[in-house]
Amino acid sequence: MPLRLGGRSLDPVPLTVGVVLSCLALLVVWDTTGLTLSSVYGMGPKATPYLIATGLAALAIGHFIASLSAASAPREAADHGPVAWIGGGLAAVVAILWVGGGFIVAMMVLFAATARAFGRRAILQDLGIGLVLGLAMYLLFTKLLALSLPQGPIEHIL
Amino acid sequence: MRILGRGLRLAALAAIAAAGLMTSAFAQPELKIMAPAAPGGGWDQTARSMQQALVASGAAKSVQVTNVPGAGGTVGLAQLVNASKGDPNQLMVNGFVMVGAILTNKSPVTLDQVTPIARLTGEYLAIVVPADSPHKSAKDLAAALKADPAKVTWAGGSAGGVDHIAAALFAKAVGADPTKINYIPFSGGGEALAALLGGRVTAGVSGYGEFEGQIKAGKLRLLAVTAPNRLPNVDAPTLKEQGIDLDIANWRSVVAPPGLTAEQRRALIDTIDKMAKSPAWQEILKQKGWDDAYLSGDPFAAFLKEEQARVADVLKSVGLVK
Amino acid sequence: MDALASLGQGFLVALEPTKLLYALIGVFLGTAVGVLPGIGPAMTVALLLPVTFKLDPTGSLIMFAGIYYGGMYGGSTTAILINTPGESASMITALEGNRMARAGRGGPALATAAIGSFVAGCIATIALALFSPSLVELAVKFGPEDYFALMVLAFVTVSATFGDSPLRGLTSLFLGLVLGLIGIDTLTGQARLSFGVPELLDGVEVTTLAVGLFAVGEAMFVASRHRFGGDDIIPVRGSIWMTREDWRRSWKPWLRGTALGFPIGALPAGGAEIPTFLSYTIEKRLTKHPEEFGKGAIEGVAGPEAANNASAAGTLMPLLTLGLPTSATAAILLAGFQQYGLNPGPLLFAERPDLVWGLIASLFVANVMLVVLNLPLVGLWVRLLAIPQPWLYAGILVFAAMGTIAANPSPVELVMLLAFGALGFLMRRYDYPIAPVIVGLILGPLAEAQLRRALSISLGDPLILIQSPIAAGLLLLALIALIAPFALRGLSRFRGSED
Repeated sequence: MPLRLGGRSLDPVPLTVGVVLSCLALLVVWDTTGLTLSSVYGMGPKATPYLIATGLAALAIGHFIASLSAASAPREAADHGPVAWIGGGLAAVVAILWVGGGFIVAMMVLFAATARAFGRRAILQDLGIGLVLGLAMYLLFTKLLALSLPQGPIEHIL
Repeated sequence: MRILGRGLRLAALAAIAAAGLMTSAFAQPELKIMAPAAPGGGWDQTARSMQQALVASGAAKSVQVTNVPGAGGTVGLAQLVNASKGDPNQLMVNGFVMVGAILTNKSPVTLDQVTPIARLTGEYLAIVVPADSPHKSAKDLAAALKADPAKVTWAGGSAGGVDHIAAALFAKAVGADPTKINYIPFSGGGEALAALLGGRVTAGVSGYGEFEGQIKAGKLRLLAVTAPNRLPNVDAPTLKEQGIDLDIANWRSVVAPPGLTAEQRRALIDTIDKMAKSPAWQEILKQKGWDDAYLSGDPFAAFLKEEQARVADVLKSVGLVK
Repeated sequence: MDALASLGQGFLVALEPTKLLYALIGVFLGTAVGVLPGIGPAMTVALLLPVTFKLDPTGSLIMFAGIYYGGMYGGSTTAILINTPGESASMITALEGNRMARAGRGGPALATAAIGSFVAGCIATIALALFSPSLVELAVKFGPEDYFALMVLAFVTVSATFGDSPLRGLTSLFLGLVLGLIGIDTLTGQARLSFGVPELLDGVEVTTLAVGLFAVGEAMFVASRHRFGGDDIIPVRGSIWMTREDWRRSWKPWLRGTALGFPIGALPAGGAEIPTFLSYTIEKRLTKHPEEFGKGAIEGVAGPEAANNASAAGTLMPLLTLGLPTSATAAILLAGFQQYGLNPGPLLFAERPDLVWGLIASLFVANVMLVVLNLPLVGLWVRLLAIPQPWLYAGILVFAAMGTIAANPSPVELVMLLAFGALGFLMRRYDYPIAPVIVGLILGPLAEAQLRRALSISLGDPLILIQSPIAAGLLLLALIALIAPFALRGLSRFRGSED
């Protein structure tokens, strides 16, 4: 559904970016007004944020103009499912570490989820590979090189 | 009577066995030390040195060091207070910088919530000027500061840190307006030192060790140290000798989570006491050039309270905390 | 010539068989840890410090040098092969290096990086030995206003990474600048854009942003295109070694990169990033193959890699002569010195010449080891790219997550990695350049802090910014860099109309 303004079709991408940039500019300004301390001499902590906010506003205007000027360029097709698999895999890592599931389990899930994003269906096989990879990395980096990695049930056995 | 006697004997045996178990458990605990900073920094080095000394001296069976960096150590502090509550084998390294960071970062958790164990090391600060500076003594610097605080630029570490607080206390002690000091924070000792050597700033304030090489090479003039008494091997008067009532040190300490029983606290203090007395720890202090400032138990708890009050007061008077 | 004689003495120390073994172990360990994204050379050295505890001072410093160089090269390897810069200074390497690797030219990219690092390291180490005392006097003269001018120059040259649309390039840059605002303001200690989240107070970690935008974002983008037969990775095409043509196109960038890296690295607040940005810009301007930039130009790997390595040798200059630790790694090296009761500084050269020259010589040795160890491995490394895509990308993500977890095991950090990954995906999808975001994050806060320091010293007088001859010169250079492209275009148009 093409957006229209005065009979011209608007390119939705620059329009969206323009809106996001405007919001970002407002966010920076809002945050900056909350600063209470100033420098005694020279330039205070507010000058740079205001300058950046001004730049963001200008870029937003630039994007609005760009959305007017040309019909949207054809974009290459893209799947969003795989992106969700990868994002979900990373989110699972956060969740697993949060509940204390440990490094190895987290890496196993991330590995399998990413492989799934690239079209693999053999989920058990991939979980297995992920487990071995996570285990090997954990042993190498904690036992040999004294790095500290999050512990979970599997790590406690080791 | 016989039954009672046997009962008593059994109870006594059980008590002995339990006591034996407990002492062995307490004598050789498996400790975890959190450094609330990234690997490589001062707190991390302290934690890893403790690890070495605890194991070498037999005070602990094993020690695991973890790093929880962020926000002047307050991220680690929050984790200690919330996630490790009641864990008798967890310790955290901290120091003066954390006291200030809690206030400037408006941290929801404070050092009032932790169980103080011991102060380990301390470093006095040095006030220096470039070798060709017109200021020959702390009094000269004080006079210049009183005349126009804006013209005296100070180089030191991060805003609200120990160096900044020392500069503010200096101004206060000599009767200048501490809110008007021109303090320029630099990241890391190297940059502040470069600004001094390049003659970009009037004076520098930081740990004595940061300046030592340059002072000995005659590139910087040491005006004073912030110690209560003269330091051995340092040829400089204290501020007190020059009529400026100020002493301050950048100390590092170790604390435990909240919610420990009196015995658990005692056991941790004993463990750290044992470590501090060990030759291994003394050797590390010498290697790293750290000054021993050992103080444990209740005296340390009282010291921590005093420092918190003093820092809060200074940060308010400098205007860094409202 | 006194310096050269002392250097010869140093070599006698560093070339003992046991010392060579230490260097080899150091290079190996450094590379092993350094390949982890998020764990740069500084943290590698910090983590491996205990390994060196048991050695004598010379042995331990030699191992240090090996770990340091190994850590740096490890970062470049991952940048080239899997588009995951291990540290901020190898971000630029990823730009062209990974394009080369995907087109089957990973071998030459790794080789030009290794040999370039070697050449730069050697030249810079000689410069270190010869000019330390005199150059360092100049380096400390650099004040905040001079640094600010240097940053301005770097900002101006960023446009080289913009691609073809200034609007999109500037948008990316400003996103980076906004990210740079997050955290505690250095000058007043107040939090900006942190919304009460304590983990944000220290600001956005450059490596988290780089790994998120490059590695995670790329994985998402490739996955989204996978079904449509997106771009395939070709592990090897043509020679796996550098061809005559590659050599011809590499040697000048190596030298130019060294010339930029060493002096800027020697400045107390110079750092390794700015010389790599400048080097990339210069190579892009000077190349005879501008059409290859952005698609895998070997000059874009050779120059910045040399600059990165030369700046590392540069940081040793203020450390050894003044005791100034001007980078995280130098600070840890300083700790290494102190553990033997040694204080780097003006007195070290006089008191322990054996040690200083031994260290300088071992830098050479470590450099040679690095090349010896890595060149034969190049063939093995590029074979990694032959792993089936699902497993290759799964491995890359595990690797990226592991680096982030090891550096800072906080959920907030991982959430940021995920968010930056999504941002990287969207930016790729809609054709916004990635590099300017990271440049903005690095340069923005530095430029602001230096400007404000300068103005605080001058009590608010802006004239300080042009009174110093160094600052004025650098600003003039920036102005020329800004105007020159337009002027040249005008000139060529003028010439064109004459024909």
